[in-house]
Amino acid sequence: MRVMRREVLRMLSQPVYVFCMVVAPLVGYLFFTTLMGQGLPMDIPIGVVDEDNTAVTRQVLRNLDAFQQSEIVEQYANFGEAREAMQQGKIYAFYYIPKGTTELALSSKQPEVSFYTNPSYLVAASLEYRDMKTMAELASGAIARETLYAKGYADDQVMGVLQPIKMEMHAIGNPGLNYSIYLSNILLPAMLMLLIFQVTIYSIHSEVKEGASKHWMEMANGNIYRALAGKLLPQLVVWIVMGAAYMVVLYAYWDFPLKCGLWPMALNALLLILVSQAFGVFLCELLPSLRWALSIATLWGVLSFPISGFSFPQIAFPAPLRALSYLFPLRYYYLTYVDQALNDLPLYCSWASFAALLAFMALPLLLPNRLKKCLLEYQYTR
Amino acid sequence: MMKWLHNILEVFREELHNSIFDEGVIVFFFIVPLLYPLLYAYLYSNETVREVATVAVDNANSATSREFLRKVDASPDVDIVGHCADMQEAVNLVHKQKAYCLIYIPSEFDNALMSGQQAVVELYSDMGSMLYYKAVLSSCTEVSLAMNKDIKAQRLVGATDKQVSTFNHPIEYEYVPMFNTQSGFATFLIPAVLVLLIQQTMVLGVGMMAGEEREKKRRGILEPHVLDKTPAEMLLGKALTFFALYAVVAAYVFCVVPRLFHLIQIGQWQDMVAFLFPYLLACIFFGLTLSGIAHNREVFIIMFVFVSVPLLFISGISWPSCSIPHFWKVVSWLFPSTFGINGFVKINNTGALLRDVRPELIGLWIQTAFYAFTAWLVYYRSYGKHLKDSIEVAEVKLQARWAEYL
Repeated sequence: MRVMRREVLRMLSQPVYVFCMVVAPLVGYLFFTTLMGQGLPMDIPIGVVDEDNTAVTRQVLRNLDAFQQSEIVEQYANFGEAREAMQQGKIYAFYYIPKGTTELALSSKQPEVSFYTNPSYLVAASLEYRDMKTMAELASGAIARETLYAKGYADDQVMGVLQPIKMEMHAIGNPGLNYSIYLSNILLPAMLMLLIFQVTIYSIHSEVKEGASKHWMEMANGNIYRALAGKLLPQLVVWIVMGAAYMVVLYAYWDFPLKCGLWPMALNALLLILVSQAFGVFLCELLPSLRWALSIATLWGVLSFPISGFSFPQIAFPAPLRALSYLFPLRYYYLTYVDQALNDLPLYCSWASFAALLAFMALPLLLPNRLKKCLLEYQYTR
Repeated sequence: MMKWLHNILEVFREELHNSIFDEGVIVFFFIVPLLYPLLYAYLYSNETVREVATVAVDNANSATSREFLRKVDASPDVDIVGHCADMQEAVNLVHKQKAYCLIYIPSEFDNALMSGQQAVVELYSDMGSMLYYKAVLSSCTEVSLAMNKDIKAQRLVGATDKQVSTFNHPIEYEYVPMFNTQSGFATFLIPAVLVLLIQQTMVLGVGMMAGEEREKKRRGILEPHVLDKTPAEMLLGKALTFFALYAVVAAYVFCVVPRLFHLIQIGQWQDMVAFLFPYLLACIFFGLTLSGIAHNREVFIIMFVFVSVPLLFISGISWPSCSIPHFWKVVSWLFPSTFGINGFVKINNTGALLRDVRPELIGLWIQTAFYAFTAWLVYYRSYGKHLKDSIEVAEVKLQARWAEYL
């Protein structure tokens, strides 16, 4: 208890703690959810090179402009100008309609129009690709449909003739392909994890640096477990509040899918918080210097983002990195999230991920004496 | 005469020595820039996900439905790993992560085709990654379009090939992804990560060194080369140190790494150098300014590492900048990485010329000037009027130590 009171006073007296434990996570939550608030980017600027410039081509372009995700911002005189605009980043895609397109179409000679995107901006380009594809089908269909109606076909027959086989896509758990659901669900806990790593390490090793670690150990009667518990429990309370905060932001405010109900994900979040603290302690045991422990935690934490496989899937990694990904706690959080929040599996299906997180939690039990020795004997020299 | 140049060079020499022998700084200046790009580029080296494991439920079990599945299986992005008797079995496989997508062909499939109705194929995708969705949808759509053509051709009895194709597509469409021709992940993300890495490691390293120096000063240790220098000389000397170090780091990060992983690089090298020069300067002065504000080395690390991922997003490389709320856009202009990433990607990936990136270039020079000024203010405070005080403190402490010793 005395250790805990001491820790609470430390947390209140140093602005670092308030800043890294409360302000930073909240600003981070706010950042990502407002940045991607729309879920999908709207009105992505695209261009047009309409060398034909007839009533028909203008109609086609008006249709394209009506799509929510595209906005034609500029007409260019030739291909070169449009390419330059793309290089300057003014547009993400453009249509190229060569001269004579309408004439060829009317005389049934199958003209070709082209659509260029710039996947250096991958998200924008793939959304544009989708709009373009729909547009192409609709435009082609429109002409053929007129012919069929003229021949006396009924509506459902027309589609059967035009598109005998049709694809019907179901995106399980995220039907609107909302990018914020896709990314924020992992980005927010990942940021919290990174901060927990670092604050845990800072709070332990800064004692050594300030020469206060002996005092801390004395208060805990020389028991390393008691010392750590006294230090980490008050922090845990704050982290749990912060964890609850991101769950409120994601699942209450933005109403993101949570098919499994609240508790499985709450458990998942709680485990991630505990594992992050445990991992921080483990690094302190392994590396008895503040800057080294902090540097390694930084590298590990930042690498967690891509290697957990939530944006670029793990199955596409080279084999060694696929194996390495299992050493990152965030990977398991992500797996459970997919199982529970998106796919609504029974809780026992996620047992392997939960077990892995529990194993991470046991890491600090490996070298407690090493940390104790460090706290009692190490002199901060630099 | 030339005293100032001599002073700057002296600071340069001493700081170079300091940074090369500080292990914490070595981590950020050399080890991270050396290893991180390799790790990231290797991680994304497959560029895109191929052969996504997929299960099929074929209730129609006809020649057409089997042909459809066979063709989908043959496409590069989808691999049909199992055929299941019913949906329950298939869904179980998806839940066990043995497969990520599911293709369901209902039993009415053939009846619909025969009677001229639309035959529907249902696709399901695990949304753990957008790329599964993209793979299964685009592969199946391609196959269905090709098969539709054949089906329609068979129905239009007596028509020539040309008539059939005109009926299908009065206007032919061609899709051309430019600059990143296979819409790859590495080509899209790695250049941005490399540019950001330069800023982050530089700011962290510079911050560490400043923290180190301040802690020494607090304990009464003053570096000898700090004496009798003006704040401007100190500032320029240090900036020169970091520039020299980062010229080497940048050469490795921007020339060696892309070549190792065969990433796209079609910019003119002169444009690249002319653009990266102000970027490095802006980062250096940005780092020096922040280091003056950071009073504690470790807290500085925590906070600056924290902003790394948001900075990548705010640059507009993944989430398009046209959709970034105005407030965050203004915030993003504070960081050299925003202009750096955008300009570099344009030059490096799309072969833009220097005049095409003028807005970014101007942004970087403004930042350089602004942060040089703020850095000078910071230095004026710590090496200008307070220097005398701290020298006195140092002398007092030195005397005290002597007294102890005697």
